[in-house]
Amino acid sequence: MPVQTIKERNAGKVGVVTIGATQEQGGTRTSVVKIGGESSLPFLHFEGEMPNKPVIAMEVVDRVPEEWNDEVKNAFTGVLDNPVAWAKKCVEGCGADLIFLRLQSADPELGNKSPEDCVKTVKDVLAAVGVPLAVVGCGVDEVDNKIIPAVAEACAGENLLLGFASQENYNTIVAACMVHKHNLIAQTPLDINICKQLNILITEMGLTADKIVLDTNIGGLGYGIEYAYSILERGRLGTLQGDRMLAMPTLGTVGFEAWKAKEANVSIEEFPGWGEQKERGILWEAMTATALLQSGLDLLVMRHPEAVKLVQKNIADLMEPSSV
Amino acid sequence: MDKFSVTIMPENLTVYVPQGTNLINAAKTAGIDIESPCGCRGTCGKCQVKIINLGGVDCPDSDYVLACQTRVEKDMVIEAPQFSRLTKHKVLLSSEEKESLLEHGYFKDVEVNPLCKKIYAELDKPDLTDSMSDLDRVRMHLMKNCGIEDVKISISALRKLSNVVREGDFNITLTIVTIKDSAEIINIEAGKPDSPSLGLAVDIGTTTVVVNLIDTENGKIIDSAGTYNKQSAYGSDVISRIVYCDENDNGLELLQKAVIETINELIDTVLKKNKINKSDIPVMVCAGNTVMSHMFLNMPPTFIRLEPYVPGASKYPVVSSKDLGININPDAKVITLPSVASYVGGDITSGVLSTLMSKSELLTLFIDVGTNGELVLGNSDWMVSCSCSAGPAFEGSGITCGMRAMDGAIDWIEIDKESMEVKVRAIGNKKPLGICGSGLIYSLSEMLDSGIIDRAGNILENGSSIRVRMGNEGKEFVLVFAKDSGSGRDVVVTEGDIKNLIRAKGAIFAGIRTMLQQVELDVDAIDRVYIAGGFGNYINITDAVNIGLFPDLPADKYAYIGNSSVHGAMLVLLCQEALYEIEDISDRITYIELSIGNKFMDEFISALFIPHTNLNLFQRCGV
Repeated sequence: MPVQTIKERNAGKVGVVTIGATQEQGGTRTSVVKIGGESSLPFLHFEGEMPNKPVIAMEVVDRVPEEWNDEVKNAFTGVLDNPVAWAKKCVEGCGADLIFLRLQSADPELGNKSPEDCVKTVKDVLAAVGVPLAVVGCGVDEVDNKIIPAVAEACAGENLLLGFASQENYNTIVAACMVHKHNLIAQTPLDINICKQLNILITEMGLTADKIVLDTNIGGLGYGIEYAYSILERGRLGTLQGDRMLAMPTLGTVGFEAWKAKEANVSIEEFPGWGEQKERGILWEAMTATALLQSGLDLLVMRHPEAVKLVQKNIADLMEPSSV
Repeated sequence: MDKFSVTIMPENLTVYVPQGTNLINAAKTAGIDIESPCGCRGTCGKCQVKIINLGGVDCPDSDYVLACQTRVEKDMVIEAPQFSRLTKHKVLLSSEEKESLLEHGYFKDVEVNPLCKKIYAELDKPDLTDSMSDLDRVRMHLMKNCGIEDVKISISALRKLSNVVREGDFNITLTIVTIKDSAEIINIEAGKPDSPSLGLAVDIGTTTVVVNLIDTENGKIIDSAGTYNKQSAYGSDVISRIVYCDENDNGLELLQKAVIETINELIDTVLKKNKINKSDIPVMVCAGNTVMSHMFLNMPPTFIRLEPYVPGASKYPVVSSKDLGININPDAKVITLPSVASYVGGDITSGVLSTLMSKSELLTLFIDVGTNGELVLGNSDWMVSCSCSAGPAFEGSGITCGMRAMDGAIDWIEIDKESMEVKVRAIGNKKPLGICGSGLIYSLSEMLDSGIIDRAGNILENGSSIRVRMGNEGKEFVLVFAKDSGSGRDVVVTEGDIKNLIRAKGAIFAGIRTMLQQVELDVDAIDRVYIAGGFGNYINITDAVNIGLFPDLPADKYAYIGNSSVHGAMLVLLCQEALYEIEDISDRITYIELSIGNKFMDEFISALFIPHTNLNLFQRCGV
């Protein structure tokens, strides 16, 4: 009996955001990353296009992240106090598509570094690696409103991905992205409506939709991942139905969320039933990533090289054209 | 207990109150009502007064204190400024004032059949062969000549029957009230009637109370009066009043007393003005929300606000006025119109009755723009309703410079897009004291259009510089500078006020969307929108649509219907069948509990934006 494949006809598609710029484009990157462009649900190649594969950005912090799990820190032994070497290791050793640089030491309580110092760190990382860069601040609005514009100005031409814009604090960073031609991460607290509202506020300031990446906030495995999943799914469905204020590629801070979980961190001695911590922690991060890939995540910010490897393999498999 | 004197300026009224009395109650004793939307909890800051002399010592530079938190411990002289007072309220009485209600569409296919009638009867005189009792004589007459069977009589009427009958030489006028086919003689006069048959229609609003005096024979409104509900002293919204009942031993008593007092004062005013005797009022129909009805009837409202939000009753018995303390004929019948649920009450069923929406095929949306934000959607086939708890922002409560629609309240503003000059108009052509609901709607719309705020309600720094500044509670925009205001203080709109207002308008719009979703209909399916509530008449539709309070429908689909609650009560007065009908309406309306599921929450968040997250919903207004 002949079976007809049911295909959804979609009116809209995810916009494409390009991060980084090569020499011809006015920057110094050796490669650029394009994300988005999907016209179907995730990996349904028979139904629509998925021109760009999901990419992995690896997290680099400009101070030694003492609080991180030893298992993650061990993977970067010798480079943790040097963001430049750390970034290099991510790209050369792990095949990271981007570097996600957190300027945490600008936080008054974590080093209180000046905007000039922050700019220098970014410049040094740019000089050391050829992949595009995402740069985010320390999370203190007043501080970030000084350092991110400084970075934006100093790195004009590099087409960075800068974060974070939130509903309470978006003017300064949006203006910096517009003037110096960078991309922006719009961050909202697990709510599709607020996500859309922030996009409207940002685009009404004049930044075009193809310069915005959405961070709808995710929850890690076992800690609210289902909310993140359904939000991303609603976003994609909205996009496919033609809602242009949701049609931006998405980003998720997978490593940050997954390694917060107790399950990723405690030892087998403490919880014998949970098995070896090393493997468990890596899988906690990888599982968080793979589940969210199924809901349409375009850019995964990750930490552990082994988890990255597993997810790279998963992405490669999922990008194989399907037989139907 | 010691007593101290409190003198209130500028009236220079002195009263003596027990030690420890708070200044609100002290002022009340002097007949001056001070605002207290929070119910004397010291949280709203609306009851500010100045102490100018304490225990004989002048305090020339004193700051404002909260009257509700200040207790009398010495003799005092205080100054109660205008902005802290409940003054004469702009109360919408009736849109068809002084017109005959018989013109109302309701009577197109229903005959006028008032609840009360005066019947003049020339009785056969008794003799030794006809020694029927006086009452039986009356009953026989009514049965033979008027077709009224089995009439009852009130005890006060019966007590004077024998004398009055003889006084009029067996010619008497009977006042008969018929409720659900049960007739009762409420009053008897000797001879021919010297006044028309009368009835009272009362709207017990959370904020305002309105009393209309009706001639039930010709359907004319003889007079009407309205004022603020004296319960306001115990809280501005129904919830804080329920809490007051729960937390104070005699709370319910005080609240019932307050509303009865309010109604009695209005009745007194109307009756005196029209030289009518109390005993001439045999019937009164009251419409109020469920909480108001409970408090009016002295029923504990406690469980209305507790999950799963169950009222004591949604249909109420007919009560004698003497049982409630209403100052009319002691045996007068008091009807309280039926509710639907805890937060959709008799004021709404009454409104629905008056709009005829329950008889029409047109899909009608009924919006009561008030604290409770009741909505009804439907037609002759079905009706759904909900209460979206918009909060008292539109009544001016919870807003820094918010006030009710009374003298000095800004009710219209315009901002010049280039010069950022602000033009305002205040009620009564007074110097502005604060902003009322309609003024707030104008402010929001104008501030958005001139780029002072963004769609999320944030005040932008690049707005006009001298009017935008940091205040105690974040950024604020100055509408009127102190030198031009009536209070000597700047009239401002703060970022917090804007967020408050956005939440209020978001709640109403989200309620509308949630109801539409329940019945799987589009906004465009709505044939007409009725805006009810006293406040409704002051709203500019364009601005209300512009901020996303009302759906973006053609302006000709909108109609203001004013105080439809009192209107419905009047229809019931004029038509016995309407009482059956309004009970039917209360049974037929399906109440939607908005706190279940995430539909309303989702709609609410998407409406917390100006005009809305989904801008496609507001294309007509040119977003």
